Amino acid sequence: MFVKPFSRRRVAAVVTFGFLLAGCAKDAPQDTFDPAGPNAREIDSLQRPVFYIAGVVGLIVLGAVAYAIWKFKDRGQDIPEQSHGNPKLEILLTILPAIILAGIAVPTVSQVFSLDKKDNDCVINVTGQQWWWEYDYVKGSTCGGVEITESIVTVSELVIPADTPVLLRITSRDVIHSFWIPRLNGKRDAVPGRLHTLRMEADEPGIYTGQCTEFCGLSHARMRQAAVALTTADFQSWVTNQTADYTSPEAGTTAAIGETTFIAQCSRCHQVDGLVDGAGNPVLAEPDRFVYSGAAPNLTNLMTRTAFAGWTFDLISDECRDRLWNESPETFGAAYLQGVWMYSAADATAPACFNETNLREWLLNAPAMKPMYTDPTKLAETGGKTRGMPALGLTQAQIDEIVAYLLERK
Amino acid sequence: MAIIERPSVIPAAVGGAGATALATPSSSLGVFRRPVAATGWRSWVFTVDHKKIGIMYGVVSLFFFIVGGCEALLIRLQLAAPDNKVLGAGLYNEMFTMHATTMVFLFVMPMAAAFANYFLPLQVGARDVAFPRLNALSFWMFLFGGIFLNTSWFLGGAADGGWFMYSPNSSRLFSPSHGIDFWVLGLQIIGIASLVSSINLIVTVLNMRAPGMKLMNMPVFTWMVLVVQFLLLFALPVITVALFLLSFQRNFGAAFFDVDKGADPLLWQHLFWIFGHPEVYIIILPSFGIISEVLPTFARKPLFGYKFVVFSGAAIGFVGWGVWAHHMFASGLGPVSVAVFSVATMLIAIPTGVKICNWTLTLWGGKLWFTTAMMFAIGVIVLFTIGGLSGVTHAVAPADTQQTDTYHIVGHFHYVIVGGAVMGLFAGFYFWWPKVFGKLLNERLGKWNFWLMFFGVNLTFGPMHILGMQGQPRRMVVWPEKLTGEGFFNLHFWNQVATWGSFMIALGVLVFLINIIHTAKKAAPAPLDPWDARTLEWMTSSPPKAHNFDAIPTVHALDEFFHRKYEEVDTEHGARLVKVKSAEEVLAAEEARADAHIHLPSPSYWPIVLAFGLPIIAYGVIYNLLLSVVGAAIVLLGIFGWVLEPSVADDSDYDPPAGGSETKELSPVG
Repeated sequence: MFVKPFSRRRVAAVVTFGFLLAGCAKDAPQDTFDPAGPNAREIDSLQRPVFYIAGVVGLIVLGAVAYAIWKFKDRGQDIPEQSHGNPKLEILLTILPAIILAGIAVPTVSQVFSLDKKDNDCVINVTGQQWWWEYDYVKGSTCGGVEITESIVTVSELVIPADTPVLLRITSRDVIHSFWIPRLNGKRDAVPGRLHTLRMEADEPGIYTGQCTEFCGLSHARMRQAAVALTTADFQSWVTNQTADYTSPEAGTTAAIGETTFIAQCSRCHQVDGLVDGAGNPVLAEPDRFVYSGAAPNLTNLMTRTAFAGWTFDLISDECRDRLWNESPETFGAAYLQGVWMYSAADATAPACFNETNLREWLLNAPAMKPMYTDPTKLAETGGKTRGMPALGLTQAQIDEIVAYLLERK
Repeated sequence: MAIIERPSVIPAAVGGAGATALATPSSSLGVFRRPVAATGWRSWVFTVDHKKIGIMYGVVSLFFFIVGGCEALLIRLQLAAPDNKVLGAGLYNEMFTMHATTMVFLFVMPMAAAFANYFLPLQVGARDVAFPRLNALSFWMFLFGGIFLNTSWFLGGAADGGWFMYSPNSSRLFSPSHGIDFWVLGLQIIGIASLVSSINLIVTVLNMRAPGMKLMNMPVFTWMVLVVQFLLLFALPVITVALFLLSFQRNFGAAFFDVDKGADPLLWQHLFWIFGHPEVYIIILPSFGIISEVLPTFARKPLFGYKFVVFSGAAIGFVGWGVWAHHMFASGLGPVSVAVFSVATMLIAIPTGVKICNWTLTLWGGKLWFTTAMMFAIGVIVLFTIGGLSGVTHAVAPADTQQTDTYHIVGHFHYVIVGGAVMGLFAGFYFWWPKVFGKLLNERLGKWNFWLMFFGVNLTFGPMHILGMQGQPRRMVVWPEKLTGEGFFNLHFWNQVATWGSFMIALGVLVFLINIIHTAKKAAPAPLDPWDARTLEWMTSSPPKAHNFDAIPTVHALDEFFHRKYEEVDTEHGARLVKVKSAEEVLAAEEARADAHIHLPSPSYWPIVLAFGLPIIAYGVIYNLLLSVVGAAIVLLGIFGWVLEPSVADDSDYDPPAGGSETKELSPVG
């Protein structure tokens, strides 16, 4: 390697500039070095020093190698003495790393146990399936002091009260998944037939993204999630909205036609709580008849979420998303609670932030956007049940109607 | 078998001096006589010569290295930009599954087997391995298993479950193509190959060392290979069981991992990693052995703390069994298990650290000669140190719950496997090439090869540590624009760096391939002892004769060859090491006392026949059991042929050297 001095300076300049940039610009939203809650911070408080220790040890070893390369290169010296080592030095070099590692082991063991604590002010059931997460807030429980008056089943976006220890009870309906919100805690596998717990707590209101991290098949990359932390008051509003009675669209609107279309086309799998058919009978989804995992996303309050289909495709526009993600903790909740209507004027007739394109594309041909096992030739093993949403062959008119209907699920 | 086939060597191995040739039938039992071709394709296909088998292992592994490398490049191309569309999700999943499987089972392991096959008998002063026909069987099973595994690409898609194939995602329900069936059965075949070969090499080391070679006088490469064979011996049965369970689940309706029927999918994880963690050491220890030969040679002094290196290798071999669950820190094992495995994992860092210190101290005070082999060996120290230290950060279980299944882990184990194992294998290529082919690889191209690979590895796998800590999980066909970030550590820039780096590695490998061709066509024959080497494999001609040594050497010390060349001479400046004999003189002294009778194992038809039956059985399991019956018949035929085969070829005795004259080139008759 022949590095000219001037180019070395240039490299140094680029690196310095890079670090300066790093000072101003935000890193990726899943930066594990940027904890936003006590669990992740506890991990960080152990992880950082271990990285530093590893770095220092590495520099010493590599420095020694570099020195040896320079110092002992063949300059015509004699063949060295054929010594076979130095037992004292060997023992020292065995004990030294042992001491360093013992120093790391003690806090590690204590932290393994402290992170496993289960005390909480809120319990939420989390269920993974190919390729989305379902959250179940049990009726009658309280979450951060807020009473859950009706069962809430929501999808992809885990809404929690900020500054409140939440205990997730995690399992899976099909294969192994892993729940991970890097800024709030480490990951925990969702294993079918087993129930694992994981504590989540966010210091401040905001949105914390995550991703399924155990390879779970075809669309593993498109199984994402987020935790949304709200102030207690905002969380109360969210719960109130989620548990509110169902309201049918105003008669004669496209949305009203959409309700019928939804019942005909979507409700076999997707539940909308409170929905009744023309005869006044409750419309109950039976996803277990059509989907292998036995579940499909509950769409009761779809438009309160910012993304769908395993949190892969945004329900809000890129601009609105950027704005929402950069809200201060004080203002975040107010915007988030508006769902796709966020940042719209009070008297607006259409939501300013709604990303209609994604939803329409999805309704037209879901498997084209997100690979899923919906090909009938591959469904023999599951007895014809799909593992994801098939293309339904909807007409543009039907899509218009369903979109109009869904837009009111807020 | 070896006793009958190689009567002249056995007495030597047990310390006796006289060779009592046993009278053995050459054709009475078998239908066929044994093949005798010494040239042409028959001399390769039916060979039982450990050197030829070693070369064949090497060639096939190198081919699979290129295959696995192309898969890696496709993966990196796909990840070069957000939401990229080079590969679809299904193909991408197949690609990373097969990349790992190919690199681990079809490149690193068999390439280590290539080195072990070729050099272990030479290093212990033997004329072949203990069971030469089994050795050939191992190779053919590996080759056919590897081909079988890769035919899945053309028969409906390769395995798509990730190389650790977690259940229940690996069941037919979730992976309906035959890919995983090919994977399971292919690994089963390759596993038998490794198991057979491990027994073979263990017996070779324990029974066939040259007189005077105590265990603690064995070259470190041989030691590390021995440790690896024990690991294989105990680890492979575990994965064999696991693969059988999965095979029966997929093909015959068993329910070992079926949650609906009460199974616990964590069973698979435990079985896989009880194999899988020792597997990591199976991959890395041969390379440790290689650089423990290369560093002393080019530092001109013995390995620092030979005993510590040997015992730390053995310690790694033992402790390696107690750390498997560190792959499962997020699996929900409970805090007690996690704490125990966390501490055990830290423990294993100690013997590993000892090795790094010893290599560094081997350089210390030496007279360093920076050949390409030496540079690769030093590259291993540097890169493995980085990989080892990032490994310590995963041992901290809470930190690991952040790091596991992210690119941070991918970066870590590629530093270990590419930086540690593969670079070590390359050190071996440059070091031993003249021994195997009688020509030195070009050093100028070699330097290019080294620097391209060294920088390539750092550029590819260094950024992955950043990517993982920035929240990019592994095994994702796409990473989205919205999770990229804008700062210095943004995913976009570092993914691109990693992709460029991977092409730099590929360029390095290309230079190596060019070097091979260049050397074969242009290079002059290498001198007998180009590196002023230290161990027995250099105490014979290059390439070695079929019988390795004219006379089985008697060993007095570690680095026997070096001590025959150098002696301490008193001068006015005190004692100095002086070269008193050239390699040619040492060799001449050995030739002068050449053995009168050298019996070499005869080639055999049956290893390749037996091995050929196995993939047919496997195809049958997938497509039609009748085919399995055909395969089983071939295997049975192979076994009968093998057993009934005459123990030596007709007149295949070697002519004794003509009474101490200079004609020592012995040739087979027949």
